[in-house]
Amino acid sequence: MHRRQFIQSLSTLAGGSLLLPACGGPSTKKIPGEIVGASASIGHLLRDGGLQGPVELAGTTDVVIAGGGISGLSAGRWLQKNGISDFVLLDLEKHAGGNAASGHNNICAYPWGAHYIPVPNNDLTEYLAFLQESNVITGYNEQGLPVYNEYYICFAPEERLYINGTWQNGLVPHAGLPVEEQQQFKRFFEQMEIFRQAKGSDGKDAFAIPVLHSSTDIQYRQLDRISMRAWLQQNGYTSGYLHWYCNYCTRDDFGTRYEEASAWAGIHYFAGRKGKAANAEHQDVLTWPQGNAWLAQQLQKNFTSQVKVNSLVVNVAETNTGVDVIYFDVNAKRLKKIAARKCIIAAPQFIAQRLIKNNNRLAAIHEHFSYSPWMVANLTVGPLQERRGEELCWDNVIYDSESLGYVEATHQLLEQHIPQKVLTYYLPLTKSDATTERKKALALQHADWVQMIIKDLQKVHGNIRDAVQHLDVMVWGHAMIQPKLNCIHNPERQQVAQPVNNRIFFAHTDLAGISIFEEGFYQGIQAAKSVIQSFQ
Amino acid sequence: MQLLLLLAVFVIATCGLIYELVAGTLASYLLGDSVTQFSTIIGVYLFSMGVGAFLSRYFNKNLLRWFIQIELLVGMIGGFSAPLLFILFPIASSFRLVLYALVFFTGTLVGLEIPLLMRILQDKVEFKELVSRVFTFDYIGALLAALIFPLLLVPQLGLIRTSLFFGILNIGVGLFLAIQFGKEVRRAGVIKGMAILLLLIELVAFVFSERIMNYSETLTYNDHVIFATSSPYQRIVLTKNKREMRLFLNGNLQFSSADEYRYHEALIHPGLQAVQQPQKVLVLGGGDGLAVREILKYPSITSITLVDLDKKMTQLFSTNHLLTQLNKGSLNNAKVKVLSEDAFLFLKSNTNKFDFIVIDFPDPSNFSIGKLYSNSFYRLLYQALADGGVAVIQSTSPYVAPKSFWCIDETIRSVGFHTAPYHNLVPSFGEWGYILAFKNNSYKIPANYLPGLRFLNPATAQQMFVFPQDMRTTQPLAVNKLNNQVLVNYFEEEWNAYLE
Repeated sequence: MHRRQFIQSLSTLAGGSLLLPACGGPSTKKIPGEIVGASASIGHLLRDGGLQGPVELAGTTDVVIAGGGISGLSAGRWLQKNGISDFVLLDLEKHAGGNAASGHNNICAYPWGAHYIPVPNNDLTEYLAFLQESNVITGYNEQGLPVYNEYYICFAPEERLYINGTWQNGLVPHAGLPVEEQQQFKRFFEQMEIFRQAKGSDGKDAFAIPVLHSSTDIQYRQLDRISMRAWLQQNGYTSGYLHWYCNYCTRDDFGTRYEEASAWAGIHYFAGRKGKAANAEHQDVLTWPQGNAWLAQQLQKNFTSQVKVNSLVVNVAETNTGVDVIYFDVNAKRLKKIAARKCIIAAPQFIAQRLIKNNNRLAAIHEHFSYSPWMVANLTVGPLQERRGEELCWDNVIYDSESLGYVEATHQLLEQHIPQKVLTYYLPLTKSDATTERKKALALQHADWVQMIIKDLQKVHGNIRDAVQHLDVMVWGHAMIQPKLNCIHNPERQQVAQPVNNRIFFAHTDLAGISIFEEGFYQGIQAAKSVIQSFQ
Repeated sequence: MQLLLLLAVFVIATCGLIYELVAGTLASYLLGDSVTQFSTIIGVYLFSMGVGAFLSRYFNKNLLRWFIQIELLVGMIGGFSAPLLFILFPIASSFRLVLYALVFFTGTLVGLEIPLLMRILQDKVEFKELVSRVFTFDYIGALLAALIFPLLLVPQLGLIRTSLFFGILNIGVGLFLAIQFGKEVRRAGVIKGMAILLLLIELVAFVFSERIMNYSETLTYNDHVIFATSSPYQRIVLTKNKREMRLFLNGNLQFSSADEYRYHEALIHPGLQAVQQPQKVLVLGGGDGLAVREILKYPSITSITLVDLDKKMTQLFSTNHLLTQLNKGSLNNAKVKVLSEDAFLFLKSNTNKFDFIVIDFPDPSNFSIGKLYSNSFYRLLYQALADGGVAVIQSTSPYVAPKSFWCIDETIRSVGFHTAPYHNLVPSFGEWGYILAFKNNSYKIPANYLPGLRFLNPATAQQMFVFPQDMRTTQPLAVNKLNNQVLVNYFEEEWNAYLE
């Protein structure tokens, strides 16, 4: 051994090997931070009917878009593009964006929710056009394949998984796996590849994006009637690692455990992505430090003056000439009304149907729609102790953890010197049913979350407690629709979203069944198109 | 009492040998040549024990008190020997003198102990019994030390903690004896107080030993450290011996004053000499001002912008007397503008065009630096280069890391540049590589060079552009991108194989 290495290893041992009362015991340091955002308390005013009082007329407009998530923003963009600029978009939060929320500190911006998009499928013309408009696609090569902006393609190293005492490269378990289980993975991915290519007898892709474009062939539709877990079992997959992996995937994309998630949705995770690019692969992702909030910003950049934030829509009612939209102005603390000709409700159905006070539909929703609660935390950290194996990646997952691990928000920065990092930690609350978990989550204090997160991350970063400088938490009560059994091709679900008298339209990913960016984007376009048509 | 004292012998023997081993090991690692170090240390130690034994005759009264006092002294000096040596190594001009003085002093004290102890016990035990027991314990203690030192202590505790740990043990024995024999010792309270104080000091030192270790990092270097500082970005260390001065950043050699001219002449002149009437120059990295020194030799140049992240580096190289001598005060030249910025961010917001651009970054040894060798970065470089301009990129060793070198070439060409790779020998680094990049394929190796260069002339220049087979690779190479960072993988693979 080289002399220098020897001394260095000595110093490491001297530093790390002895437990001393002065520095080794559990620290009682309080970690600063708070529970932020997602204005649940204001939102619940709607549920509890707590908003009464005189209503002030705030104006008239052609269209009101209630809700500024991706669906609502996409609808607004489409209206604007097609010459309808007399519209107002109302959103409860301080910034529109819905699940694509973000925060920032003196280090960088970071996501509070959705944080990447996969390389898009090439048949999504409108989507590709939006990405080109946003300079995410910089052009097309001779083969007609999109060239992606390389500052937005996730930098290497992308993913690592802590498993069997080491950080392995990639999230598909391989380090320390028996040969037999590795073969099951191989077979599984071969089968997924077949699904990816498959087309139904109707000529449609078996697994398409948006999901409503998928083939309705019975052989694929019946996958929606069993769980992902049952499907694995039926197909002879016994590997515990593979089961963990599939459960990780359905929790990651849908906030749903694989024994509850429809096998159709579970397989869609692997088979829906078919994107081809000049400089990326279909499994590559596009990301920004602030996550999809960057895209939300791009969606609304041409109509920022029509976006009204801090506005909680409380009632949407038909009139003789159109639709009255009543909202609570959070800043002015009073109810206001906009008289519109049309309204797009770009909110989840449990809210949307309450706004139009349709009790029949509400009952159907309670039966067919369920939403998973999530907790997201952002940690500002100093230098972290690392386990052996791969270096810090963009996505860092711990095998067998309740959490989905963390994403490094600082990963996509170009600088050399990034002494502090921001880690975004994701925890879908899937231990028990959504209602119980939601209640439990809303009752927890900041310190409880901190303890939970530290305990989880301590497995991989011995000094995490001392390294964390700040930790904020956001609890999403209804983060996303859960694609449970019979959810994708269920006519009853389509029924609840029928437009009301060509005046009130609906757009939200819960109508698609899976909560992905493309679904929101097309939900918005679809509703906007219906509105435009209704004007003609 | 007899058993207790014999136990003390055992501890003393163990401690004594440990100090000797610590000194020997430390000297081997700091000074090299372990045979000489161990041999001289053991010699000095045994000799000084003899001196101690000789001196024992001058102790006539209060033997037990003296014994305890000596015990405390050994604990203090022996215990602090390793931290002291680590700290003094870079500072002391005659380190060996300090080393042998410490060994001598410890040895003398240990040498005093056994004779004193035998005299304390002489009236209590029959002589043959006494000799037998004392030496039995003494040698068992030595065996124990010899076994646990390499097997347990060095790997588990490290040298500094081992030395402190046994210091604590020594003082502990002293304190214990002072308490046990409080009635037989005059003014035992003072000794006890002393012992407790020393014990506390060593415990504190033990707890903070890691910091001591960090402080003494300079032992990494073979030469005398004449300057060391930490910036937010890196550790900057300057060493000097009779022949040369060396700069290390985070322990990696940046240049040696003995042959840096070979590197910097090769980096600058083949490119700059080929530019017609160069005026504006950009240097990314190169905070040592040595590249700038070469650039300033061209009178047509009106401005040089140097972008180096680390302000401490550029400050050091514009103020330190030895260093400004080396770079001829280049950073203080009126034509030179120094910016402390991130190179990637600088290029991303840059709108100027430069006639000559020098890229002198550290080797792509991690994902962070790897970004500065990506096609995205070279695209920005393309925008910043004037149409008739030339850029030069330091590109690691094509001999050690041919895949890395040619991957950089491939990446530069992928954004539309034409390239001319070349290499030369820099003894401190080995065979080193550079790549010229230009927009139109009109580069010709210059036939004339400035007068006064020590390495470069028309003949050596021609030779630099010839690559023998052992600096090439037949493997197809990928373009280094932000989202694949293949270069870092090539680099790691090749340099690891070379250094193993």
